Amino acid sequence: MSLLERYTQPAEAQIPTVSHQGDIPAGQPTCTIWIDGQEVTAVAGEAILRAAQRAGFNIPTLCDDEKLAPAAACRMCLVNIDGYDRPMPSCHLAVEPGMKITATEDGLFKMRRQNLEYILSDHNAYCMPPCQIGCPTHIDIPGYLELMAKGQHVEAARLVKEVLPFPYALGLVCPRPCQEVCRRGLVEEEIAICQCHGYTGEMVMEMEKAPTPFPQLPATGKRVAVIGAGPAGLTCAYYVALAGHAVTVFDMMEKQGGMLRYGIPEYRLPKVKLDKELNSVWQLRDAEFKGNMKLGRDFSIDDLVAQGYDSVFIGIGAWSSNDLPIPGIDLPGVIEAINYLNQNASGDPVPVGKGSRVVVMGGGFTTFDCARTSRRLGAEVTVVYRRSRKEMGAHYSEVDDAEHEGIKLEFFGSPVKIHEKDGRVGGVEFQRMALGEPDASGRRRPVPIEGANFTIDCDVVIPAIGQLPVLDWFERSPGIRKTRRETIVANAALMTDRPGVFSGGDCQMGTVTVIQAVAQGKLAAKAIDRYLAGDDMSLVASEIQEEERVPELIDIVPYKPEEPQVRMPFLPFEQRVRSFELIEGGYDKAGAEKEAARCLQCVCPDVGRCHLQRLSLEHGLTDNRFHRAEPVDYHDYEYDFSHDFILRDLNKCINCTQCVRICRDVIGANCYGLMGGGYDSIVTTPWNVSLSYTDCVSCGACAETCPTGALMMRERDLETYELDIVRCIYCGDCVEVCPHGALGETPNFELSTYTRFGRTVLAKEELAVARTWKPSEDIPTNGDGKGGVRPPEVRPPAPPRWSA
Amino acid sequence: MPANATLLNGAPPTGGDVRARPPDEIVAMIEKSDLRGRGGAGYPLAKKIAAVRDAAKATGRAPLVIANAYDADPDSPLSRTLIKHSPLGVLRGTMIAAVAVGAREAIVYLHPKAEDERRALESELAKLEGSLGGVLISVALGPGGFMGGEESALMNVLESKRAMARQRPPYPASLGVEQRPTLISSAETLAWLPHILERGVRADSKLVSVTGAVRSPGVYEVALGATLAEILDAAGGVIGELKGIHVGGPTGGILSATRRGTRLDFDELRAAGTHMGSGQIRAIAEGTCIVAEAAKLFAYLAKETCGICVPCRVGTARVQGILESVQSQLGRDEDTKWLGELGDHMEQFSLCGFGITAPSILRTTMYEFAEDYRAHIEDHRCPTGSCKPVRARRYETMVQP
Repeated sequence: MSLLERYTQPAEAQIPTVSHQGDIPAGQPTCTIWIDGQEVTAVAGEAILRAAQRAGFNIPTLCDDEKLAPAAACRMCLVNIDGYDRPMPSCHLAVEPGMKITATEDGLFKMRRQNLEYILSDHNAYCMPPCQIGCPTHIDIPGYLELMAKGQHVEAARLVKEVLPFPYALGLVCPRPCQEVCRRGLVEEEIAICQCHGYTGEMVMEMEKAPTPFPQLPATGKRVAVIGAGPAGLTCAYYVALAGHAVTVFDMMEKQGGMLRYGIPEYRLPKVKLDKELNSVWQLRDAEFKGNMKLGRDFSIDDLVAQGYDSVFIGIGAWSSNDLPIPGIDLPGVIEAINYLNQNASGDPVPVGKGSRVVVMGGGFTTFDCARTSRRLGAEVTVVYRRSRKEMGAHYSEVDDAEHEGIKLEFFGSPVKIHEKDGRVGGVEFQRMALGEPDASGRRRPVPIEGANFTIDCDVVIPAIGQLPVLDWFERSPGIRKTRRETIVANAALMTDRPGVFSGGDCQMGTVTVIQAVAQGKLAAKAIDRYLAGDDMSLVASEIQEEERVPELIDIVPYKPEEPQVRMPFLPFEQRVRSFELIEGGYDKAGAEKEAARCLQCVCPDVGRCHLQRLSLEHGLTDNRFHRAEPVDYHDYEYDFSHDFILRDLNKCINCTQCVRICRDVIGANCYGLMGGGYDSIVTTPWNVSLSYTDCVSCGACAETCPTGALMMRERDLETYELDIVRCIYCGDCVEVCPHGALGETPNFELSTYTRFGRTVLAKEELAVARTWKPSEDIPTNGDGKGGVRPPEVRPPAPPRWSA
Repeated sequence: MPANATLLNGAPPTGGDVRARPPDEIVAMIEKSDLRGRGGAGYPLAKKIAAVRDAAKATGRAPLVIANAYDADPDSPLSRTLIKHSPLGVLRGTMIAAVAVGAREAIVYLHPKAEDERRALESELAKLEGSLGGVLISVALGPGGFMGGEESALMNVLESKRAMARQRPPYPASLGVEQRPTLISSAETLAWLPHILERGVRADSKLVSVTGAVRSPGVYEVALGATLAEILDAAGGVIGELKGIHVGGPTGGILSATRRGTRLDFDELRAAGTHMGSGQIRAIAEGTCIVAEAAKLFAYLAKETCGICVPCRVGTARVQGILESVQSQLGRDEDTKWLGELGDHMEQFSLCGFGITAPSILRTTMYEFAEDYRAHIEDHRCPTGSCKPVRARRYETMVQP
C-alpha cells in the first residue's frame, strides 16, 4: 500500500501511526532498509523520513508533519535512493525492503542549501535583531525597548536584569556593540540602546529593593565563593545567589566594583550611583562581600574548599600593566596606568597636576581613561599610538571626545627611548611607523620608517599598552592551568581543569570589555548552578557552546519614517577640563520612552522556534545572491492581524501547505488554500479575506504546525474576556473545549493566562473582578497620576508597497 | 501531407469488434505497434496498460481511462486538430484503451477554450447515448493554463482541486483519480488504437505543430525519424535565414540551425538536449536574440508553474530575473555558471516534469548560442541589436553584516 493511499483510507484500515520518537509496537510488520550505510528497521509502508527520524538521522524538512498526508513541497528531505535516477522526497516515498538510501551527501547538501536560498530570497521579513546578536549577553533589546515605549520601566528593568544585572553602569561605560549594528541605522540613525537600559537602571536604583528578573529561588544549602568583585565576579554572584546558593565575594580592594570603581574614572561612571546599583547583589539573601581579601596573600583556593565552599569562581581581572622594554622605563616620572587610575579613583595623590606635560602611549580604553583623567587634572596631554585612528581599540566616540577636550593625538609613533632630564623623565623618542601587511588578528602591522624619529618633551609618561592578570598565586593552586598569554584556561562552560573551579572575565579572556565580562559572569553562574546540581559538565559545556552560536540570518528591511535620535544632555567640552563631573546626562522619562519607541522591533517572534531559521543555520547560509533587484522580484503582503487569536504574515509563508492540510484534513474547517498562480502562488484564505470571515474555529492548529512565523498565536491576556460570575453554572465546558489548556480544572476552577513574562493564575472570582491585567507592581510615575494604566499595544506598522 | 499519414488521413477505422478480442491480445498488438506516449515522455502504452490492469487486479478498484486532449501548449493544438478531423476516432481509441484495461468509464479531458471540439465530441457522444462499446465516455474541462495538462495536476482537477502537480511514484496507473488505477494518455496516442487493431500498423508518425518563421505554420503529421529540416520544409520552408529550432514547446530547448539534421525521435531529441514535449517545432529566424527568447520562456514558466515546489516556483522566477538582467546588459561573467548551477538544481529537485524539463532551455541555449550570451555579458550589447532593457536592477549578493 502506498503512502499516499494510507492517508486516504478509512480510519480502521490505516496503519497505526508510529511516532518518530516512539518504539515500534510489537507485532508490527517491519522491514529493513539502509540509510547512509546503517541498517534501519522500518515499519512496512511508512515514509522513509519517519524511519530515518526514528533512527536518529537528521533529514531536513519544512513541510512534513506526521499527522498529515505528505506534500513533498519544500524539497528539503530529498534523498538519493539506489535504483532511482533522481533524488526522491523521503517524506513521500514509502520504505521498501532492502532500500539503500543516501541521506547525507555533499551534493544533496548543496541542493538543499539552494532551496533555502530561494526561500529566503522571497522571505520579506525580519529574523533575529542584530543588536541582540551583537551584544555578548544577548539581551532582549527589542523586548525591553517595547516595554519602555509603553512606559513599563520596572518590567523593562526586570527583562534587562535577566542577563545584565547592572544596566545603569553598562549604559554609561559599554562600548555599545549593539548600536553599531542597529537596523535603525539603515533608516537614519541607530537607537541609543545602551542609554535606554541606563535609564531603566537609574530609575529602579531609587526603589527600596531593586527588581529581580524572578524571585530568588529557595536556599539550596550550597556555598559558592567568588573571587573578585568586578563586573564578571559580581554578575556571577548575582545569578548564583538568585539561583538559591549562598555566595561570598572576596576582593583585594576595600570596596566593590573592581575596575568599574578603580579603573574607570568618575567622569564616565559616578561611584555613588555605581554603589547603589551594585548593592542590588547584597539585597539578595545569603550574599555577602569581604573586602581586603587577596587571593594568594590572605587565602588560597584550597582554603576556600576547606572552608566548605562547593564551587569557586575566579574573576580577578587584569591588574598589571604590560611591560614596555625600552631604555629609561624605570626613570622617575614613568607611571603605571592601572596604578594611576586606581590612585586617582581612591582619592590618593597622583604625580600629575596643572601644568604637567603627559604622554600616554597606547590606543585602548585604558589609554584614554589615563589621558582624559590627566586632562581633567589640568595637564597638557598627548596620546601616541603606533597605528592609525581606525585601528584604535577604544570606542571611536571616546577618541573623538578626547580630541575635543583638547588632548593631542599622535599616530604612527612607536616609543624607542625615554630621555632623561634632571634625573627624571624629560621626553620620549618615537620611531615613525607605517602600516604594513595585516597580521593574524586582521589588523595591519605597523612597520618602522627608518630614520624618521621624533621626540615629545614631557614630564610624565604613562605606558598603557595592555594589561595582564596577576597570577602570583598560581603555584599554590594545583589543577589550574594558564596560557602563554598569562590567562587562566577554562572550557566553554568556563570551568578550569580543576572541577568546581570556574573562571571568567579579564583573567580568563585577556582584557575585554565590561559587557563581555558580564556575559561571562552570567554564563559562569549558569555553569556553576549546573555543576552544583551534579550535571555532566562536558554536556553543559557543549550545550553552552551550542547556545552561544551566533544565530543570524539575512532579511529584507522594511521602511520606517525617519526620526532622529533623542539627544541626551552632554557636559560641554570646555567644562570638562578640571572637572570629573559625569559627562553623559542620561535620559529623562519622556526622552527615554520616545527613544525606545524608535526601535523597529526588527525581530520575528518565532525566532528560536522557526524551522527555516534552524535549517538555514545548519546549512551555513550567510549570504543571499538574490537581493536588491526590481520590486517585482519580491512579494510584499499586507499583514492580517484582524483575527482574535491567529496572526498571519504572508511575507513569512514558504508555501509548505501544512496549514492547508491540517485545517482541511484534521480540523475540517478548510480555511486555507494555495491562491494566485505561478511565482505569485501563496497559501492564504479564499480571496485573501481576513481569517475572521472564514470557517476558522480558532483552534490554532495552523499556527502550531507552521514551520515559520507566518502563522502565530496572538499573545493574549485576559483583559478582553468578561466573565459573568452570576450566570456561570460551573459546567466546565470552557475547560473541555479549550485546545490550548489555557483553562485548567482544579477544585477551584482555575483560569490561567500565559504572558511573555510567565504565568499568572487567576481564580474565577479574581477573574471576575480583574478586568484589566496589571503588572505585579505599580509603574512609577512622574507624578502625573497616569502610572499603572497599560498604554495601547505598539505593533510594527505594515511596510509600505515597494516603489521603484 | 507525408505519404505515411495515418491519423489525419481520411475517416478512422472502427477497430473491429473490440469486445470480441481478449484484452491480452489488444495489449500484444499495441506492443507490436511500438506505440509510445505522444504526450511528450514517450512511455510505451502497452506497459502503461499492463500496469493499470495489474493495479486494478491487485486493489480491486475500478480502473479509469482519461484521454488527455488538453493541449497545454496553446501553440500546439494537436488534440484539437485530431478531434476536429474526427471526434469518433478519438472516442474509439479511448474506448479500446478502456476495454484493454477493463474500465467501464473514460473521460476525454479538454481545455476550457476548446469550445468547438467539445461540441463535436458531445454531439458524437449524444448519438452514441454516451456509451461506446460498453464504455461510458464523458467530457471534462480543465482549468486553463499550462499546468492543467500535466497528468498529475489533471488528476487533481478531476478531483475538483487546484491544478497542482503530485509527487510520483505512486504513478496514476496504481493510484490515480480518486485512488483508482488510472490510464492517462494523450488523445493522439489513443487515436492510434483503432488503426492498430484494424490494420496492425506500426505507430510510425507523429503530429507536430510547426510555428514561427515558416511559410505555412500549422499542424502536420510527419514520420517519426524525419529530420527537423524536412519538417520545416513540409511547412513551406523557413522565412529568411534559420537561426534556431525550438523543439518541444515552452519547456523545450532551442537547437541551433546547424542541428537541423536531428531526427524527430523521442530518444534522439532527448540526446540533443530537448524533448518531444508538446510537439511544437518553432523556427527562429536570424535577427532574434536567443537570450531574450530564453528570458521570455522563463517568464512564461514563472507565470504558469503550479507553485507547489520551491525549485520550480522560485527557481523559474529567479532564472527569469537573471536572464532578463543579461538581456538588459547587466550581466556578469559569473552569470552563466550560476545559471548552469540553478538549472541543475531545478532539474534534480523539482517535483514534476515541468521543472525537470525547463532547464533544457538553459542547457541548449547557453551551449549552442554561447555567442549571444557572451556578447550580452562581455560586450554589453545585443548581438542582433533587438534587445531592449527590461530591468534596471539585477540581483546582488547580500552578505551577512
